Amino acid sequence: MGAWRTGRYALLALLTLGAAALAAPDARADRLVTDLSQHQVSIRSNFTGTEILLFGAVEAPPDERTVDRDIIVVVTGPTRTVKVRRKEQVAGIWVNHDSVTYPNVPGYHAIASTRPLEVISSPETLRAQRIGIENYEFGEAVATGIDGTREFLPPDTELDFWKALIRNKRREGLYLTDPGGVIFLGQTLFRATLDLPATVPVGLYTAKVYLLRDGKVVDTISSPLYIDKGGIERFIYRLAYNDALLYGLIAVIGAAFFGWLASAVLGRR
Amino acid sequence: MQIYLPIAEIPVNVLTILAMGLTVGFLSGMFGIGGGFLMTPLLIFLGIPPAIAVGTQSTSVVASSVTGALAHFARRSIDFKMGGVLLAGGTAGSLSGIYLFKLLSAIGQVDLMISIIYVVFLTIIGGLMMVESVQAMRVARNGGAGGRARGRGHHSWIHGLPFKMRFRRSKLYISVIPPILVGYFVGTLSAIMGVGGGFIMIPAMIYLLRMPTSVVIGTSFFQIVFVTALTGVMHAYENQAVDIVLGFILVIGGAVGAQFGVRVGEKLQGEQVRALLAALLLIIGVRLGIDLISRPDDLYSIVVMSSGT
Repeated sequence: MGAWRTGRYALLALLTLGAAALAAPDARADRLVTDLSQHQVSIRSNFTGTEILLFGAVEAPPDERTVDRDIIVVVTGPTRTVKVRRKEQVAGIWVNHDSVTYPNVPGYHAIASTRPLEVISSPETLRAQRIGIENYEFGEAVATGIDGTREFLPPDTELDFWKALIRNKRREGLYLTDPGGVIFLGQTLFRATLDLPATVPVGLYTAKVYLLRDGKVVDTISSPLYIDKGGIERFIYRLAYNDALLYGLIAVIGAAFFGWLASAVLGRR
Repeated sequence: MQIYLPIAEIPVNVLTILAMGLTVGFLSGMFGIGGGFLMTPLLIFLGIPPAIAVGTQSTSVVASSVTGALAHFARRSIDFKMGGVLLAGGTAGSLSGIYLFKLLSAIGQVDLMISIIYVVFLTIIGGLMMVESVQAMRVARNGGAGGRARGRGHHSWIHGLPFKMRFRRSKLYISVIPPILVGYFVGTLSAIMGVGGGFIMIPAMIYLLRMPTSVVIGTSFFQIVFVTALTGVMHAYENQAVDIVLGFILVIGGAVGAQFGVRVGEKLQGEQVRALLAALLLIIGVRLGIDLISRPDDLYSIVVMSSGT
């Protein structure tokens, strides 16, 4: 019986050890600690775009020295429905013709990494982890003709619309890729700066950091970032959308007042 | 000095906008025009979304037309009865213009329509004015008595129409149908183009309704105040297309610029001023026309459909 009990304890110990051994790569592996320079960006009247600084550290066992360690930072903005229109020449004039609507397009998408993505990892891993704007799911595309009826476009035509969407967003500075944007300061500390152009949409953003070793994702961490209009900009915007009639009346009465003021000032001269 | 526009959602240089307001205000004071049809294309060239350019501009036209109407009120050169009839048509026209605007922006053709209407009107009006002013200059040089024959009292089809009304101030007894139609047409254009529409209203009043020139400008200003006020409120209400910050800068620049323009305009000769304005209209019209027919850099454009608060 004693032997049996001992045996049972041994088995338990063995199991625990086994579990510990299995868990060991996790428990002992590198872990991320990150933060943003600011969690809230407020768009005020002097807003001309800003920079967000992301910094962090890899907590690794002290004895270990890994060279093949990479960081990918992905900042994604709130998603909206976006329509992509293609112009065609009708009677000599360039007219918006077919369009494709994507329901789930991020208004901002920036990627910074220690090295180019294709060097860091395999396309399969990137796709599985949804890293890169090419791997982002924009939702079900709906094509519409010039007359407003639904169309079915050949896949390669639809692909052109998808490419055009990313191209346009890149041109506006809203989709960014910075292959050398994450810089290691020594063994564990790293930092990345991300540009937010003046046209950034307001809403909730997520900054997701991936730690990769030998092309495999070892750890991820997310932090929120909130971008909102501030001060008078926010007041005006809210009023224009929530109390549109009042806003319109204020604008027009204000304009009429200025017109009267101009004539009153003039009349005195 | 950059300022972020809350509704247009882009930063602009205050000094650029102020300079544009001053320039257009100067020209409008010099030529005696509203200036909306100069400002709206300029705002579009600057990168302001066309819908917001139109909505904001109709609001700032209210300011300049109030100034104009008050000056004419003091001179008693407003036919209120005629203004009221034009306004009745203008109200209906403005509302249909807003509706058309909303419909076309939903199907993505509003920018195209604004451009086409501008090209058509700027080139026609600019061309006609250019021909007319060059002729006037030639007549003046030859020393000929260039009096335009104004067929006053000449009976046209207009006099056969029913619902006649007496307009004492204009010394007219005509049907209300033509002024209502003129008001409607100009009201529609006003809502689509973001203009007061004086450049169409005034020729229509002189040549079609045969109103005396002394009351034409004042009456036009009077009805423009109310039509653009309605258009401005409706653009804000229906399309969220009025940027109050942009409008404020435009109004300030316009009011100051107009004062200098009026003084310079008094020193210039009428024909030369008109030839200059005609050239300006033609340049803008042609520029917009070239944009319509030249192949865009990117055939694809994107538009964000839903916007959160």
